Amino acid sequence: MILIQVVLIAAFILLLLKFLANPNSYQIKAWKKIIGILFVFLAIMAVLFPDLLNHIAHFFGVGRGADLLLYLVTLAFIFVVFSQYVSSKQEQKRLVKLARKLALLETELKSKK
Amino acid sequence: MKETDVAIIIPVYNEARVIKQTIQGVLSSFPLVICINDGSIDNTAEEIEKTKAILINHPINLGQGAAIQTGIEYALKDPSIKYFVTFDADGQHRIEDVKNMLAYIRKEKVDVVLGSRFLGATENMTPLKKAVLKAAVKFSNFTTGLLLTDAHNGLRVFNRRMAEKLDITMPDMAHASEIIHRIAEHQFAYKELPVTIAYTDYSKAKGQSIMNAVNITFDLLLQRVTKR
Repeated sequence: MILIQVVLIAAFILLLLKFLANPNSYQIKAWKKIIGILFVFLAIMAVLFPDLLNHIAHFFGVGRGADLLLYLVTLAFIFVVFSQYVSSKQEQKRLVKLARKLALLETELKSKK
Repeated sequence: MKETDVAIIIPVYNEARVIKQTIQGVLSSFPLVICINDGSIDNTAEEIEKTKAILINHPINLGQGAAIQTGIEYALKDPSIKYFVTFDADGQHRIEDVKNMLAYIRKEKVDVVLGSRFLGATENMTPLKKAVLKAAVKFSNFTTGLLLTDAHNGLRVFNRRMAEKLDITMPDMAHASEIIHRIAEHQFAYKELPVTIAYTDYSKAKGQSIMNAVNITFDLLLQRVTKR
Protein backbone atom coordinates (compact mmCIF):
# COMPACT_ATOMS: atom_id res chain seq x y z
CA MET A 1 0.00 0.00 0.00
CA ILE A 2 1.29 3.41 -0.83
CA LEU A 3 1.42 6.05 1.84
CA ILE A 4 -1.58 8.04 0.56
CA GLN A 5 -3.83 5.00 0.86
CA VAL A 6 -2.88 4.53 4.48
CA VAL A 7 -3.34 8.22 5.22
CA LEU A 8 -6.73 8.45 3.49
CA ILE A 9 -8.22 5.31 5.03
CA ALA A 10 -7.00 6.30 8.49
CA ALA A 11 -8.40 9.79 8.01
CA PHE A 12 -11.84 8.47 6.93
CA ILE A 13 -12.17 6.21 9.92
CA LEU A 14 -10.87 8.79 12.36
CA LEU A 15 -13.21 11.46 11.05
CA LEU A 16 -16.21 9.22 11.26
CA LEU A 17 -15.62 7.95 14.77
CA LYS A 18 -14.06 10.95 16.42
CA PHE A 19 -16.17 13.72 14.99
CA LEU A 20 -19.49 11.91 14.96
CA ALA A 21 -19.12 10.69 18.51
CA ASN A 22 -19.19 14.09 20.07
CA PRO A 23 -19.50 16.91 17.56
CA ASN A 24 -19.90 19.67 20.10
CA SER A 25 -17.03 19.03 22.47
CA TYR A 26 -14.52 21.88 22.78
CA GLN A 27 -11.74 19.62 21.54
CA ILE A 28 -13.54 18.90 18.30
CA LYS A 29 -14.38 22.55 17.87
CA ALA A 30 -10.71 23.43 18.35
CA TRP A 31 -9.61 20.77 15.86
CA LYS A 32 -12.05 22.11 13.30
CA LYS A 33 -10.42 25.53 13.61
CA ILE A 34 -6.89 24.14 13.42
CA ILE A 35 -7.75 22.14 10.31
CA GLY A 36 -9.45 25.18 8.82
CA ILE A 37 -6.42 27.41 9.38
CA LEU A 38 -4.13 24.71 8.05
CA PHE A 39 -6.27 24.45 4.93
CA VAL A 40 -6.10 28.18 4.28
CA PHE A 41 -2.36 28.22 4.93
CA LEU A 42 -1.81 25.34 2.51
CA ALA A 43 -4.05 26.98 -0.07
CA ILE A 44 -1.98 30.18 0.05
CA MET A 45 1.24 28.22 -0.17
CA ALA A 46 -0.08 26.27 -3.13
CA VAL A 47 -0.96 29.50 -4.92
CA LEU A 48 2.44 31.06 -4.21
CA PHE A 49 4.48 27.98 -5.03
CA PRO A 50 2.56 25.79 -7.49
CA ASP A 51 5.36 23.23 -7.56
CA LEU A 52 5.13 22.71 -3.81
CA LEU A 53 1.86 20.80 -4.17
CA ASN A 54 3.51 18.42 -6.62
CA HIS A 55 6.38 17.81 -4.22
CA ILE A 56 4.02 17.05 -1.36
CA ALA A 57 2.00 14.79 -3.64
CA HIS A 58 5.10 12.85 -4.65
CA PHE A 59 6.03 12.46 -1.00
CA PHE A 60 2.70 10.77 -0.30
CA GLY A 61 2.94 8.62 -3.40
CA VAL A 62 0.38 10.57 -5.42
CA GLY A 63 1.14 11.28 -9.07
CA ARG A 64 0.12 14.93 -9.32
CA GLY A 65 -0.53 17.82 -6.99
CA ALA A 66 -3.98 18.24 -8.50
CA ASP A 67 -4.85 14.67 -7.54
CA LEU A 68 -3.77 15.26 -3.97
CA LEU A 69 -5.94 18.35 -3.91
CA LEU A 70 -8.92 16.34 -5.12
CA TYR A 71 -8.41 13.75 -2.37
CA LEU A 72 -8.19 16.39 0.30
CA VAL A 73 -11.24 18.24 -0.98
CA THR A 74 -13.18 14.97 -1.05
CA LEU A 75 -12.19 14.30 2.53
CA ALA A 76 -13.20 17.79 3.58
CA PHE A 77 -16.51 17.46 1.75
CA ILE A 78 -17.42 14.16 3.40
CA PHE A 79 -16.50 15.59 6.77
CA VAL A 80 -18.66 18.67 6.27
CA VAL A 81 -21.65 16.64 5.09
CA PHE A 82 -21.48 14.29 8.05
CA SER A 83 -21.01 16.94 10.65
CA GLN A 84 -23.89 18.94 9.16
CA TYR A 85 -26.06 15.85 9.26
CA VAL A 86 -25.26 15.17 12.89
CA SER A 87 -25.76 18.75 13.98
CA SER A 88 -29.06 19.02 12.11
CA LYS A 89 -30.25 15.89 13.92
CA GLN A 90 -29.33 17.53 17.21
CA GLU A 91 -31.13 20.71 16.24
CA GLN A 92 -34.17 18.61 15.38
CA LYS A 93 -34.15 17.07 18.85
CA ARG A 94 -34.03 20.51 20.46
CA LEU A 95 -36.87 21.66 18.24
CA VAL A 96 -38.99 18.66 19.19
CA LYS A 97 -38.51 19.41 22.89
CA LEU A 98 -39.45 23.04 22.40
CA ALA A 99 -42.55 22.26 20.34
CA ARG A 100 -43.66 19.59 22.81
CA LYS A 101 -43.36 21.99 25.72
CA LEU A 102 -45.43 24.50 23.80
CA ALA A 103 -48.10 21.95 22.93
CA LEU A 104 -48.39 20.72 26.52
CA LEU A 105 -48.56 24.28 27.90
CA GLU A 106 -51.28 25.21 25.44
CA THR A 107 -53.32 22.15 26.41
CA GLU A 108 -52.88 23.00 30.09
CA LEU A 109 -54.09 26.55 29.48
CA LYS A 110 -57.13 25.35 27.57
CA SER A 111 -58.15 22.95 30.34
CA LYS A 112 -57.99 25.75 32.93
CA LYS A 113 -60.42 27.93 31.02
CA MET B 1 -66.83 -1.61 32.99
CA LYS B 2 -64.74 1.35 32.03
CA GLU B 3 -61.03 1.22 32.69
CA THR B 4 -60.16 4.53 34.32
CA ASP B 5 -56.46 3.89 34.99
CA VAL B 6 -55.64 3.60 31.29
CA ALA B 7 -54.52 6.32 28.89
CA ILE B 8 -55.02 5.63 25.19
CA ILE B 9 -52.45 7.63 23.24
CA ILE B 10 -53.27 8.23 19.59
CA PRO B 11 -50.81 10.13 17.39
CA VAL B 12 -52.78 11.73 14.58
CA TYR B 13 -51.53 13.22 11.34
CA ASN B 14 -54.00 14.15 8.60
CA GLU B 15 -56.64 11.58 9.53
CA ALA B 16 -59.71 13.83 9.40
CA ARG B 17 -61.68 11.17 7.51
CA VAL B 18 -61.44 8.43 10.13
CA ILE B 19 -60.23 9.92 13.42
CA LYS B 20 -63.65 10.67 14.88
CA GLN B 21 -64.81 7.13 14.28
CA THR B 22 -61.61 5.69 15.76
CA ILE B 23 -61.89 7.86 18.90
CA GLN B 24 -65.55 7.02 19.47
CA GLY B 25 -64.76 3.32 19.22
CA VAL B 26 -62.09 3.70 21.91
CA LEU B 27 -64.12 6.02 24.16
CA SER B 28 -66.84 3.42 24.57
CA SER B 29 -64.41 1.37 26.66
CA PHE B 30 -61.76 3.81 27.84
CA PRO B 31 -62.61 7.28 29.20
CA LEU B 32 -59.14 8.82 28.75
CA VAL B 33 -58.15 9.21 25.12
CA ILE B 34 -55.27 11.56 24.34
CA CYS B 35 -54.95 12.63 20.71
CA ILE B 36 -51.80 14.35 19.60
CA ASN B 37 -52.52 16.25 16.43
CA ASP B 38 -49.07 16.32 14.86
CA GLY B 39 -49.43 19.49 12.79
CA SER B 40 -52.10 18.14 10.47
CA ILE B 41 -52.99 20.34 7.51
CA ASP B 42 -56.54 19.03 7.13
CA ASN B 43 -59.32 19.51 9.71
CA THR B 44 -58.17 16.72 12.00
CA ALA B 45 -58.17 19.07 15.02
CA GLU B 46 -61.83 20.03 14.46
CA GLU B 47 -62.81 16.39 14.12
CA ILE B 48 -61.08 15.55 17.42
CA GLU B 49 -62.75 18.49 19.15
CA LYS B 50 -66.15 17.03 18.29
CA THR B 51 -65.34 14.13 20.63
CA LYS B 52 -64.55 13.88 24.34
CA ALA B 53 -60.91 13.06 23.66
CA ILE B 54 -58.15 15.36 24.89
CA LEU B 55 -56.55 17.26 22.04
CA ILE B 56 -52.91 18.27 22.09
CA ASN B 57 -51.77 20.25 19.08
CA HIS B 58 -48.16 20.10 18.01
CA PRO B 59 -47.45 23.56 16.55
CA ILE B 60 -45.53 21.93 13.68
CA ASN B 61 -45.25 18.41 12.33
CA LEU B 62 -42.68 16.55 14.42
CA GLY B 63 -43.25 12.89 13.55
CA GLN B 64 -45.07 9.96 15.08
CA GLY B 65 -42.41 9.12 17.66
CA ALA B 66 -42.45 12.69 18.97
CA ALA B 67 -46.25 12.64 19.11
CA ILE B 68 -46.31 9.45 21.18
CA GLN B 69 -43.74 10.89 23.59
CA THR B 70 -45.86 14.04 23.98
CA GLY B 71 -48.89 11.89 24.79
CA ILE B 72 -46.92 9.89 27.35
CA GLU B 73 -45.64 13.03 29.06
CA TYR B 74 -49.16 14.41 29.24
CA ALA B 75 -50.57 11.18 30.66
CA LEU B 76 -47.76 10.87 33.21
CA LYS B 77 -48.93 14.08 34.87
CA ASP B 78 -52.03 12.24 36.06
CA PRO B 79 -50.89 9.94 38.92
CA SER B 80 -54.00 7.76 38.64
CA ILE B 81 -52.92 6.49 35.23
CA LYS B 82 -51.27 3.10 35.56
CA TYR B 83 -51.28 1.83 31.98
CA PHE B 84 -50.40 3.49 28.70
CA VAL B 85 -51.60 2.29 25.32
CA THR B 86 -50.31 3.43 21.94
CA PHE B 87 -53.00 3.12 19.32
CA ASP B 88 -53.05 3.95 15.61
CA ALA B 89 -55.39 6.64 14.36
CA ASP B 90 -56.43 4.97 11.13
CA GLY B 91 -58.67 2.38 12.78
CA GLN B 92 -56.56 -0.67 11.99
CA HIS B 93 -56.36 -1.79 15.64
CA ARG B 94 -59.16 -3.54 17.49
CA ILE B 95 -60.45 -2.61 20.95
CA GLU B 96 -60.79 -6.29 21.86
CA ASP B 97 -57.05 -6.70 21.40
CA VAL B 98 -56.36 -3.74 23.71
CA LYS B 99 -58.63 -5.22 26.38
CA ASN B 100 -56.94 -8.57 26.01
CA MET B 101 -53.48 -7.01 26.37
CA LEU B 102 -54.59 -4.96 29.41
CA ALA B 103 -56.01 -8.04 31.10
CA TYR B 104 -52.64 -9.72 30.59
CA ILE B 105 -50.52 -6.86 31.94
CA ARG B 106 -52.80 -6.53 34.98
CA LYS B 107 -52.53 -10.21 35.80
CA GLU B 108 -48.93 -11.06 34.91
CA LYS B 109 -45.81 -9.32 36.12
CA VAL B 110 -44.72 -7.76 32.85
CA ASP B 111 -43.87 -4.13 32.08
CA VAL B 112 -44.99 -4.12 28.48
CA VAL B 113 -47.26 -6.09 26.18
CA LEU B 114 -46.60 -5.77 22.46
CA GLY B 115 -49.04 -6.58 19.73
CA SER B 116 -47.85 -8.95 17.04
CA ARG B 117 -49.28 -9.24 13.59
CA PHE B 118 -47.53 -12.52 12.98
CA LEU B 119 -48.97 -14.32 15.98
CA GLY B 120 -52.47 -13.22 15.07
CA ALA B 121 -54.49 -12.94 11.95
CA THR B 122 -53.52 -10.31 9.43
CA GLU B 123 -55.98 -9.21 6.89
CA ASN B 124 -54.87 -8.14 3.44
CA MET B 125 -51.13 -7.71 3.94
CA THR B 126 -49.13 -7.55 0.72
CA PRO B 127 -46.36 -10.21 0.37
CA LEU B 128 -43.68 -7.50 -0.04
CA LYS B 129 -44.71 -5.73 3.14
CA LYS B 130 -44.69 -9.05 4.94
CA ALA B 131 -41.16 -9.85 3.72
CA VAL B 132 -39.81 -6.43 4.73
CA LEU B 133 -41.41 -6.64 8.17
CA LYS B 134 -39.98 -10.12 8.73
CA ALA B 135 -36.53 -8.86 7.78
CA ALA B 136 -36.94 -5.92 10.16
CA VAL B 137 -37.80 -8.33 12.96
CA LYS B 138 -34.67 -10.41 12.29
CA PHE B 139 -32.52 -7.27 12.34
CA SER B 140 -34.17 -6.01 15.52
CA ASN B 141 -33.82 -9.34 17.34
CA PHE B 142 -30.20 -9.56 16.27
CA THR B 143 -29.31 -6.11 17.61
CA THR B 144 -31.35 -6.21 20.84
CA GLY B 145 -31.21 -9.85 21.86
CA LEU B 146 -34.97 -9.88 22.37
CA LEU B 147 -37.10 -12.56 20.79
CA LEU B 148 -39.99 -10.90 19.01
CA THR B 149 -42.10 -11.83 16.04
CA ASP B 150 -43.10 -8.28 15.11
CA ALA B 151 -40.94 -5.23 15.76
CA HIS B 152 -43.04 -2.50 14.20
CA ASN B 153 -46.51 -2.88 15.58
CA GLY B 154 -48.23 0.30 16.67
CA LEU B 155 -50.28 -1.38 19.39
CA ARG B 156 -48.49 -1.51 22.74
CA VAL B 157 -49.53 -1.52 26.40
CA PHE B 158 -47.02 -0.62 29.09
CA ASN B 159 -46.96 0.34 32.73
CA ARG B 160 -45.90 3.55 34.44
CA ARG B 161 -42.39 2.33 35.17
CA MET B 162 -41.72 1.91 31.47
CA ALA B 163 -43.55 5.10 30.50
CA GLU B 164 -41.23 7.09 32.75
CA LYS B 165 -38.13 5.51 31.24
CA LEU B 166 -39.20 5.47 27.60
CA ASP B 167 -38.03 8.93 26.47
CA ILE B 168 -38.49 8.48 22.72
CA THR B 169 -35.97 10.65 20.88
CA MET B 170 -36.45 9.32 17.35
CA PRO B 171 -39.12 11.70 16.09
CA ASP B 172 -40.09 9.71 13.00
CA MET B 173 -40.97 6.08 12.34
CA ALA B 174 -37.69 4.83 13.84
CA HIS B 175 -39.33 5.20 17.26
CA ALA B 176 -40.73 1.66 16.99
CA SER B 177 -37.21 0.26 16.99
CA GLU B 178 -36.18 2.70 19.68
CA ILE B 179 -38.92 1.40 21.99
CA ILE B 180 -37.65 -2.15 21.48
CA HIS B 181 -34.14 -0.95 22.30
CA ARG B 182 -35.40 0.65 25.52
CA ILE B 183 -36.96 -2.65 26.54
CA ALA B 184 -33.62 -4.37 26.04
CA GLU B 185 -31.66 -1.57 27.69
CA HIS B 186 -33.74 -1.44 30.89
CA GLN B 187 -34.53 -5.17 30.80
CA PHE B 188 -38.27 -4.64 30.99
CA ALA B 189 -40.31 -7.81 31.18
CA TYR B 190 -42.17 -8.09 27.89
CA LYS B 191 -44.80 -10.28 26.29
CA GLU B 192 -46.11 -10.46 22.77
CA LEU B 193 -49.77 -11.16 22.19
CA PRO B 194 -51.47 -11.77 18.87
CA VAL B 195 -53.44 -8.87 17.45
CA THR B 196 -55.50 -8.57 14.34
CA ILE B 197 -54.72 -5.73 12.01
CA ALA B 198 -57.17 -4.79 9.35
CA TYR B 199 -55.28 -3.47 6.35
CA THR B 200 -58.12 -1.56 4.81
CA ASP B 201 -57.70 0.33 1.56
CA TYR B 202 -57.58 3.48 3.64
CA SER B 203 -54.77 2.32 5.93
CA LYS B 204 -52.85 0.84 3.02
CA ALA B 205 -52.96 4.13 1.18
CA LYS B 206 -51.84 5.93 4.33
CA GLY B 207 -49.26 3.36 5.42
CA GLN B 208 -45.58 4.10 5.20
CA SER B 209 -43.65 3.19 2.13
CA ILE B 210 -41.42 0.16 2.22
CA MET B 211 -38.50 2.39 1.23
CA ASN B 212 -38.80 4.06 4.59
CA ALA B 213 -37.16 0.95 6.05
CA VAL B 214 -33.92 2.25 4.54
CA ASN B 215 -34.28 5.59 6.33
CA ILE B 216 -35.09 3.92 9.63
CA THR B 217 -32.14 1.53 9.46
CA PHE B 218 -29.74 4.34 8.60
CA ASP B 219 -30.95 6.57 11.43
CA LEU B 220 -30.70 3.75 13.94
CA LEU B 221 -27.18 2.82 12.91
CA LEU B 222 -26.14 6.46 13.03
CA GLN B 223 -27.52 6.78 16.52
CA ARG B 224 -25.26 3.96 17.61
CA VAL B 225 -22.19 5.81 16.34
CA THR B 226 -23.21 9.19 17.70
CA LYS B 227 -23.44 8.92 21.42
CA ARG B 228 -25.97 11.27 22.86
